[in-house]
Amino acid sequence: MAIQGFSIDFLRVSSYNKLCYVRGCGSTRNAAAETLMLLEDICMKRVGKPVFFVVALLILLFTYTAIFGVYAQNGDNRTTYVKGAGDIRWGIDIRGGVEATFTPDTGKGATEEQLNAAKSTIELRLVNNNITDYEIYTDDHNDRIIVRFPWKSGEQNFDPEAAIQELSATALLTFREGAEYTTTETGSDGQPVYKTPKGTTKDTIILQGDDVVSAQPQVYQNPDSGKTEYLVALEFSKEGSAKFAEATERLVGQTISVWMDDVMISDPNVKEAITDGKCTIEGNFTAAEASSLAAKISAGALPFKLTTTNFQTISPSLGSSSLDAMRWAGVIAFTLVCLFMLFMFRLPGLIAVIALMGQVALSFAAVSGYFPFLNSFTMTLPGIAGIILSIGMGVDANIITATRIKEELWAGKTLDGAIQKGNANSFWAIFDGNITVIIVAAILMLVFGPTNLFSALFGSSTTGAIYSFGYTLLIGTIGNFIMGVTATRLMTKSISGFRFARSKWLYGGADK
Amino acid sequence: MKTFHIRFYENRKIYFAISLGLMAIGLIFNIIFGTQLDIQFTGGALIKYSYTGTIDQEKVQDIVQSTTNKPVTVNINEDVKSANDGKAINNVSISFSGTESLTVERQQAVAAALAKEYPNAKFAVVESSSVNPVMGRDFFFKCLLSVLVAALLLIVYIAFRFKKIGGASAGAMAIIALLHDVTMVYFTFVIFRMPINDNFIAVVLTILGYSLNDTIIIYDRIRENRKLMGPKADYGTLVDTSINQTLTRSLYTAACTFAAIAVVYIVSVMYNLDSVQTFALPMMVGIITGCYSSICIAGPLYVMWQKHKQQKKQQAAASSR
Repeated sequence: MAIQGFSIDFLRVSSYNKLCYVRGCGSTRNAAAETLMLLEDICMKRVGKPVFFVVALLILLFTYTAIFGVYAQNGDNRTTYVKGAGDIRWGIDIRGGVEATFTPDTGKGATEEQLNAAKSTIELRLVNNNITDYEIYTDDHNDRIIVRFPWKSGEQNFDPEAAIQELSATALLTFREGAEYTTTETGSDGQPVYKTPKGTTKDTIILQGDDVVSAQPQVYQNPDSGKTEYLVALEFSKEGSAKFAEATERLVGQTISVWMDDVMISDPNVKEAITDGKCTIEGNFTAAEASSLAAKISAGALPFKLTTTNFQTISPSLGSSSLDAMRWAGVIAFTLVCLFMLFMFRLPGLIAVIALMGQVALSFAAVSGYFPFLNSFTMTLPGIAGIILSIGMGVDANIITATRIKEELWAGKTLDGAIQKGNANSFWAIFDGNITVIIVAAILMLVFGPTNLFSALFGSSTTGAIYSFGYTLLIGTIGNFIMGVTATRLMTKSISGFRFARSKWLYGGADK
Repeated sequence: MKTFHIRFYENRKIYFAISLGLMAIGLIFNIIFGTQLDIQFTGGALIKYSYTGTIDQEKVQDIVQSTTNKPVTVNINEDVKSANDGKAINNVSISFSGTESLTVERQQAVAAALAKEYPNAKFAVVESSSVNPVMGRDFFFKCLLSVLVAALLLIVYIAFRFKKIGGASAGAMAIIALLHDVTMVYFTFVIFRMPINDNFIAVVLTILGYSLNDTIIIYDRIRENRKLMGPKADYGTLVDTSINQTLTRSLYTAACTFAAIAVVYIVSVMYNLDSVQTFALPMMVGIITGCYSSICIAGPLYVMWQKHKQQKKQQAAASSR
């Protein structure tokens, strides 16, 4: 405990603050925490006059950028330097969307392979429909696949039931002659999507899903180049082998395309006639591409229906109306709390308003992806409620400190002494109080998160709407330490150095 | 400066009576109405459509019942304001009784049947949910477990932090205050006939944190005053002084938090945002009881415990002599 010894000695020598010295020696608190606090007191001892303006300006600047973001407009291109509140990604309760849980209808428990095959089918369909931002989880314990996706922005015609049916439909796999397609679209992964067979491709179906026995990704060492290559190995049923042999004999040098539903997933050339029912698809695949293609073909080879066990749909209009309402609620709540603080606490109230603004801005920044190290976060209605709640709870630190300062003034302390003592006496109460809220927020996040505390017991689930409530509550409380405690104290100390701010009345002391 | 001199310890019986009285009212409501669990927990189905023009509630009920072979309850909500364009819309919600989920095909059949009967009503799904009973039950147990884990962690923390003023007793009294608040939040759901859903869990956990925060501020002051007033000071005076000294702060913070969440509640009522209403209303109640229980329940109970302990010690000392 060398550091503690040092700080106490240091204080004893400087003896600027008897209180600290006494508390240091007679304290019953643990040494590490004591050290932390003494160090804080030392740091806080002298705060220069400009500090108030520096802190206040930084908070204002931060608030402005956190709300409006920083963009550069260059012709039609907009470059985002810093993300603002407009970049917040909203959850399906605000944007509207679908959440559904599917279970493979295999009669008995599904294998992990089957689940993965089904999952890749659903992903393929989502990507092909240009739906980004989807979440998908498989739960091996309970044989569930959980999907959640928002509506495409700008889509007017939403039919949630049809969307769910399309996702859960039995995968239809076909091998067709040639590779003629009608339309090309761009999927959400940026790759072209070739849709709807036509001509010969439409008319000639060589094989169907039940002709395929297995499809597996394989690694192989190319004997010529020595490179490692990835490919997909297929095995056909007896009947399938015969049909495939006939087709490959006829189509050497031509293409046999593989289709899932209405979409072409591969268009390999036939190198030679394949008569033994085993073949490989090569094509400079990466390991991931090979396993993905194999999973898609497997999904078609194991055609089982997906039963929709749970689903929830929300229309975008309901969501956007809720968002506007909550926005109003936030503005009104913020204004009310600010007025209350100004009226009740005068100068410390003003400082509380600045700090509170910083705290709210921090909440926005933490969800919008303002900080490069924090990913943007999906916000839901309870998440917004969490921000508004932390507006009310956040001023607690300011209230505790300001009332403590007021008490000391009335007890006859000088202004500096009162601020010093008020700050010191209120710190641990605020600390303990905030820790309890942090515990609660952490539990909320752990329980309602995607992979959660009880995953082992109950299986994983989609992130509930409550997850973001836990997150905003957590950020609000951490922001409270930064703004409501540190920034507030810096500003109070600094401003009290100005002559105009020396009146005790401004701090709630007796009129003089 | 205005200071309070309320004798909380002396008046403790009044506060206990108020709390017990409120709980009794809640209990009566609970016995009469029972506890409703949301379909999130029990499983079941609910669809809400928007429509234009007028529809007949009973007719809708008949149509849906004959399409799905399930008894249903139909609620019509006309002229619901929408916050973004100010246009009012009509909503009809259909809840299916029983805990079975509804298949997508059935839901489509309902929409088709309704559209056939009212071709001009333009039914559109506002929201719908269909929950499998097994998954609902899992979710319910997960939520209960989360409350237990949170409560346990909080108690361990408070016992650890307040060792010097009797961590165990401080912790125990805090638990009673917390149970008090959870019960009140629960009765709010019962009295306002709101089905218990995941919002309930969020509110309960938040109130656990909030109420404990209040209690901690008071205990922190007790700890500080114990040093100032010396070990001889009477527990009643010690605790009352501490509560009175922190009363301004407790009331101000409660006022700010209450105001913030009350605004949310009013807005959600204006725009008929169910999911926000069932969050904000119990939160308002929780903030009041959280503040009340810390001041009027946890403090006096702590004094009673300590006095009891002192008495025992004295008796033990007297009998050993």
